Formats: sequence, C-alpha cells, structure tokens
Amino acid sequence: MSEKILQTLGALRDYSLEKGYEISLYYHEEDSYLMRFANSAISLNTNEHLIRLEVTAYEGSKRASYAMITDLAKLDDMKKGIDIANEMAKHAMPLTYQTTVPTYENTFIDVSNFDPDLSTISNEEKLALFNQVVSGLETDEIKLSGIFSCGANTVAAISTRSEHSILMKTSDAQVTIVLSHNRLKWEVQAEQSAQQKSDLDPAALRAELTALLHHYTHDSPQQLPLGRYNIVFGPAAIADMLNFTRYIAFNGGLMKRGYSFLNEENIDQKVFSNQFSFFDDPERRETFPFRRDIYGIERKRFALVENGVFKAFAWYQDDADEFGQQPTGHTVPHHSLCMAGGSQPVNSLGELLNLPRETDILYIPFLHYMNIVNPSKGILTGSSRFGALLLKQDGTVVVPYNVRLTQSLLDIFGDRLSWIAQEILPYNTSLSYGARNPTSIIVPRFMQVNDLEISHSNSSY
Amino acid sequence: MLNQIKQQIERLRARGATYVDTRWYPYEETNSLLMWNGNLKDASSSSESGVGVRVLYKGAWGFSASSDLSDISALFDKAFDNARIAAERVTFPVRLAEKETIEAKFESPLRINPFEIPLTEKIAFLQEMDKRLDQPGVTQRVCSLNFTRKQIIFVDSEGSQIEKIITEAFADLEVNGLDSEGGMHERKFKPPRRGESRGWENIDLQYFSQNAERIVRELNDTLQAEQCPVDDRAVILLPGIMYLQTHETIGHPLELDRILGYELAFAGGSFVTLDDFSKLRYGSEKLTVRADATLPNSPGSFGFDDDGIPAQDNLLIDKGILVGAITGRQMVEEANAKARRTIFNGSSGANRATSFYRVPIERMTNINIDAGQDGTLEDIIRNTERGIVLDGDRSWSIGSNREQFHFGTEAGWLVEDGQITRPVKNATYKGSTVAFWNSLTAVGNQSTWEVCYVDNCGKGQPNQIMQLGHGVPVCRFDNVRIGE
Ligand SMILES: [Zn+2]
Repeated sequence: MSEKILQTLGALRDYSLEKGYEISLYYHEEDSYLMRFANSAISLNTNEHLIRLEVTAYEGSKRASYAMITDLAKLDDMKKGIDIANEMAKHAMPLTYQTTVPTYENTFIDVSNFDPDLSTISNEEKLALFNQVVSGLETDEIKLSGIFSCGANTVAAISTRSEHSILMKTSDAQVTIVLSHNRLKWEVQAEQSAQQKSDLDPAALRAELTALLHHYTHDSPQQLPLGRYNIVFGPAAIADMLNFTRYIAFNGGLMKRGYSFLNEENIDQKVFSNQFSFFDDPERRETFPFRRDIYGIERKRFALVENGVFKAFAWYQDDADEFGQQPTGHTVPHHSLCMAGGSQPVNSLGELLNLPRETDILYIPFLHYMNIVNPSKGILTGSSRFGALLLKQDGTVVVPYNVRLTQSLLDIFGDRLSWIAQEILPYNTSLSYGARNPTSIIVPRFMQVNDLEISHSNSSY
Repeated sequence: MLNQIKQQIERLRARGATYVDTRWYPYEETNSLLMWNGNLKDASSSSESGVGVRVLYKGAWGFSASSDLSDISALFDKAFDNARIAAERVTFPVRLAEKETIEAKFESPLRINPFEIPLTEKIAFLQEMDKRLDQPGVTQRVCSLNFTRKQIIFVDSEGSQIEKIITEAFADLEVNGLDSEGGMHERKFKPPRRGESRGWENIDLQYFSQNAERIVRELNDTLQAEQCPVDDRAVILLPGIMYLQTHETIGHPLELDRILGYELAFAGGSFVTLDDFSKLRYGSEKLTVRADATLPNSPGSFGFDDDGIPAQDNLLIDKGILVGAITGRQMVEEANAKARRTIFNGSSGANRATSFYRVPIERMTNINIDAGQDGTLEDIIRNTERGIVLDGDRSWSIGSNREQFHFGTEAGWLVEDGQITRPVKNATYKGSTVAFWNSLTAVGNQSTWEVCYVDNCGKGQPNQIMQLGHGVPVCRFDNVRIGE
C-alpha cells in the first residue's frame, strides 16, 4: 500500500514538473473505527475510510492550496486539483517574506509505529473488552458510556524540489469508559491510550473504575466551601494543562504576535518549579510520533523546560520564515509532548488514597471545558469532572460536587508545585474533528499543587 | 447513482433492516482566505463528495461512509454489519417518531454566489479591511473570508427524497493590542445577519469599514482602561456576548440527546431532567426562547434536517417556564417512553450531520430570545443604578452539565446611576445557569435584536463542527459576580 501511495505521489510530481509548476503534496489516509456506548448500549458503530490530498502551489512569494477527499484511482481528479492550486497561486498576493518549499533530501519511510492487530481489532473484541471491564458494575441506575476508537493513519509528502518523499504510518486506539448515575448525575471515568494491541489493559481500567465507584456509591456528595486547596491532578487534567501551556507559552510565532506569557528574555531563565521538565520527544512511540516534520526536518528530543529553566521556543516553518528564525522541526500535525516524572512513589489511585496527609487534598482527575481567560498571564479556567475526591486530613474520603478553578499556569507549574509522581503514562488527547490525528501526551500519574483557589462550587452535579 | 442507492436501501430492508437512509453529497466545496498583518497567510479551497449510510437493525444503529463509490454495495454491507454487532448490546431499542413522507427541494437564499467571485476581488476586500485596521494601538490584525457550498441528496427507506443546496458566506475581522503591562487584548467584528439572504451580497464594504473603525476605537479604549473590579453588579449583555450565553446555557442543555445521557463520554450531560418539562422555572417571566429554523439568513436554517423533517419554529421556554427541547426522531420516542407521558409531539427537526462521513445528532438550529418591552440599550442603561455593559466573546468555560459558567469578554463599560462612566479591561462574569436566567430583569426591544452566527460548535464522537444562529436582544441580569 505504501508503495502505491508513493508511486501516485511520484506520478503527480512528474505531472507538475511537466507543467512547470512548483508544488508540494501532502497525503493523508485514515481508516477509522468508532464504537460508541451510551445508556449501557452501543449507541453508534461507525467506520470511515478517507483519503485526503492537499496541494500547495508556489509562485515566487505567492502561495495557495487546494485540498480534496479523493482516492488513489482518481489520478485525473488529483491532477485537476494541482491545476486549481496553481491557478489560485497565480492570483494570490505576494507574502512580505520568502516562503519555504519543502525539500526532502532523502526518502524516509517509517511504519514502525503501525500494529495491524490494533488498527483492525474486530467489533467483537471491542465489545468483549467493554463487557469485561464493566461486568457487574452496571445497575438500573448506573449506566455505561464511552468509546472504543481505533484506526490506521498514514501521512506522506513530496514536492517538486526533489524526487524524495516521506511516509509515516501509525496505528492507534483510544478507550474511554464512563459509568454515570442517571438520577444523581455523577460520572466516573477510566481511559487508556494504545499504540499497539498489547497496550490495552482491561484489568487496569476495571481497577480504576471500581475504586472510584466505591466512593461514589457509598459516600454522600458535598458542596465544597470556596477557598484555597491543595490539589492533586490526574493524567487528564495534567495533559490538558500541558497542551494549553504548549499553545500559549512555547510557540515562537504566537510569542512574536504577543499571545505568550513567555518572551525571548525568559530563555535560559528559571520560570517554573525546578521539578518541572517538559520535552517534545519523537522517540516515544506512545505519542504516535513524527520523526520528520512535513518540511523534511529530522525531529529529535527537544527540551522546552528543563528543571524549571525555559529552554527554547518551538518554531513552525511559516513563522520561522516570517520572523527570520531557524525552524525547529515542529511543523507536524501534533507534537510528542512528555512531562518528566518526579520522585513521589504514588502510582495508583489506591496509593494516593493511602498517602499520609497533613492537610485535606482535593483530587481532580479531569478538567472540563478549559479555556484561556488571559493569555498574557497564562490564566486558565475549567471545572472538575469524572471522579473528583476530597481526601480528608483524618484519612476519610468525601465526594465533592464539581468545582471551578481559575488559575495561572505559572503558578501550577511554578512555585506552588509540591510533588510529581514517579510513574509516567500516555494520556490520549485525540480529537476527530477533521482528519484523524491520533495524539497522546506523556504525563505523570499525579501531580500535587498547593494553595489553589476554588472560585465556584456547585450545589449539585 | 440515485437508483443504485434506492436499490441498496431495498436490499438492506430485505435483509431485516427496519430503517435505512443515505446522504449523498455530490459536492461540498469550501474557499477560505485569511490575511494576517497584511500577509495572505491562507488562500485555500477544498472539495469533497461521498455517501454516508445509516442503518437501523434490531434497535441499533450502524453507520459507514466513503468517498470511493466504486463498490457501493460493500459500503451498505459495512453499515449493516456495524448495526448487527451494535444490536448485541441494546437497552432501549431505537425507534423513530412518525413523520410524513416528503419529496422536496430546499435552496438557501442568495443573490450572489461567493464561488463566482474572482479570487482577486476577495483579496481586494481583505486588503481594504487590513488597511483600515492598520492603526495606532493595533499590533495584530486578522481578516478572514470563508465560503461553503454543498448539495445533499437525502433518501430513506420510508420513501422520502430531499435535495438541499446550501451556501454560506462568513467574514470577520479581529484586532489585538498590548496594554502598558504587556497584556494582550482583542476586539472582533462578526457581523450580525442582515437582510433575507446568505450570499456574497452581505459582504458590504461600507458596513465592514464602519465596524473596522469601531473595533479599533474600542480596542484602544480597552488598552487604556483600568482592570475590571471584582464586584457584584447588574450585567447588561450586548448581542456579541448574549448569543454565546444563550448558546452555552440554553442551547446545549436543551439538546435532548444530552438530557438523555448520550453525550456523557464527551460533550457532557444536562442539569435538565425529563421531569422539568412544563415545570422548571428556567428564567424570569421576561424570558421567552424559541428554536426557529425558519430564519432565512441564518446558517441554523436548512429546510429539512437529516431525518427528513421540515424546518420548524418551536417554543423552548415560555415566559420563563421550560416547555421544549432540541430534538430528532429517535430521542423524542425514547424521552416520551422514559417519562411515561407525551412530552414531545414528534421530532422538532434538529438532527444534523456536519458532513457525509458523520452521523446526524441533535444540533441547535437558531436558538432565539424574543425581544422584550424594556426599550432600547440607552433605556436599559438609564434604568440601571450599578452595572456593567459587556460585549464580545473572549473566553468561555461551562460546567459539564451546563449548570454553571465563566465568561470573559472583549469589552466592558461600567454603569453608575444610569450612565456609562468608563471602560474596563479583562472583564469577566460567572454564575449558575438557572439562578442567572432568573435574575433577568430587562429585555431590550426589537431595535436591540440581532442574529449572530456560530460557525464552530463542537459536539459528538466522531467529533462534528456545526454552524447555527442566535437571534438575541440586549438583556440585563441583576447581581452577577464580575471580575474573577
Ligand atoms: Zn456549541
């Protein structure tokens, strides 16, 4: 299949050269499967096979693109798409800077992250995994929701600048299992990210759900008083906050445009807690990595923050072209973000519950609907969801109604960071808006941050 | 193609499917242009075509989609197989509310097709806007144009056949600037829908120019302003934030699939229960809300939904009392059965998919608030002792059951003793949904009512982006926490 893709791209390149065009081609193929559960039933079972081709045409410093959903047999349609992009580029407006045309110096094919056993896992196996995880946990009032999303994703690219091309293929799965009370409206959740079939661990999913269910079914929920709390965040909340940090702190182009809470003077300065280290590491297979960016730049481990010291901005090619910077190999559909683990030996919910504590600890595994209130100060807001717990100083556990947190990332990853768990794991952050783009962020199992303010507290779920 | 589709539908019916429908998109095309600080960063177009097949078998849904139509019977078989495995875990067998068989055609109104306008003319519009936004105080200026056009042919196993051709044109402007402490602020212009059509004719140079000048002025006022105080005050919401308040805390919680728990793994639930219909005092007596899919100029109007149900204008909240929801054929049947009473008399025609390769789900149409009796914006300000006027969406975050919210706005002006005194920066407000709508004490008249559009509403798995509208007046809510 890879050969057929590269042959087709080669034929389209030949066509473009014959016509005297300067173009680059970006190919995306997805085979997507999603089984969705709600109200303890399969509410939807769907699959889509889609091939997308994006043509970017260049004429001097003018640039335009044309994208289509197509298939490999439709060579003439694709040629037409190339003609349209070129016609558009002719009538586009020159950029004030010289734009880079991707130039592949050698052919790079990476299918090492593809596991056919995972991408083609059968409908029966998916249903069996769900049945195994929740067996005996559902009741008339406690209902199952969730997804089993899996698929294969191939990206490939070529340009008229060289005969070489790149192709990368991955398999991925995202499993989310939710148990919710249809009258009381609480929800608990367990999730897994898989790059290969052996990453799936139904026993771990079941253990997480069972532990949370124990508290949610035995303890009566409480409205928390407003005020300051020491908060332990779980993988979903940490991944979400890191994703926002990447977006509003480490992007060189956005920094130049004034959106970042960091600036060039912060480079090599200590900005965060010395416990905090954060990398883009394409060697981690669990992140569905790209080892070349779409301009052909080799991607290597890239330090964003090391022991609290801000190391470098990430520069996308177009921003680097505009602002006269060196591109850093970050022009990819997603980065391979990894936060380093710490020294706290707390690696499961059970161990967290048993941890001796000197104050009350609020456990927030998941932050719902996070948004940026003030990018210049790194202030975010979001609400707890999916299984928050208040771990009382006296050793008891209370179930809280959801609360809202409005806080600066500089505090969360800065001086208020108390400890980071030893164990790290991939948290799947894939969204399926548009083309399939399996993504996960490697995060510590837990992270405690002290003295954070709860600004709103619900009186019900 | 149409005959092949009809034969395949019949074939699956013979295999035991209780219902089959297909949405064939002969074409869907887009054109996007983005100018950022004078650079044409994006000049792109796209095209796609394909078929999505939805099959109901033994009370369960299967779906499959492809752009490769060379083996259409394989596509229908896949959808059927997907339904067959889903039928192994059914708790409430899906059934569909009755509907009439329809053969019809809908075309969204337009005078000038944006796809027939030359690229150079579109670029000239952006250059003109960019020039007008390039003023002192402005560090970033972004102008964009987005056009879509699609043909959808819907066929179902109950004999309906509906063709739709829908064209949309979106244009917006944004400026950013830095205050003396390096804080970034923004001001946008997303034009309210005017007139009776949705084509290029709405991209009116003079109208956009006036508003370009206004947003630059308002941005500069914000850059010079003091910080918004933390306080409890009346908030007066202009349509530029009122639409989002309506969207997030009335529209989403009244989607019947959310109420029934179908979005608990992703978008979230709703604080609303089936018991609340005809009972819950959602807001004050001044609040009347409707789902109106018949507004001609809004992307929330589409003639017929993806169940084949005609566009309707339904009450959701009547003088403060909850009376309706946003529904499709499947959910109304399940809701009535679970409530053991007839809450809904058939589908309200709000089941929509974003593309041929996504399955239809409950989506907002135009969720509108009726204009009220409390006069113009000036009248409302004059009758407010201590308040703040807010406009422009900057940040929004809502609880998973839509029970509470936190919004940040682009602009804010304090009101003291019936007069605007000064602008403030970083204005925010928050509240609990039902308490907030019950604190509604003034609703502006028709002069304050505007149709705003949403072009990026996200929901569902696989994820779907949807376009819709909100017709809203200026509203005042008392005793709201601001500045946090
Ligand atoms: Zn929305």
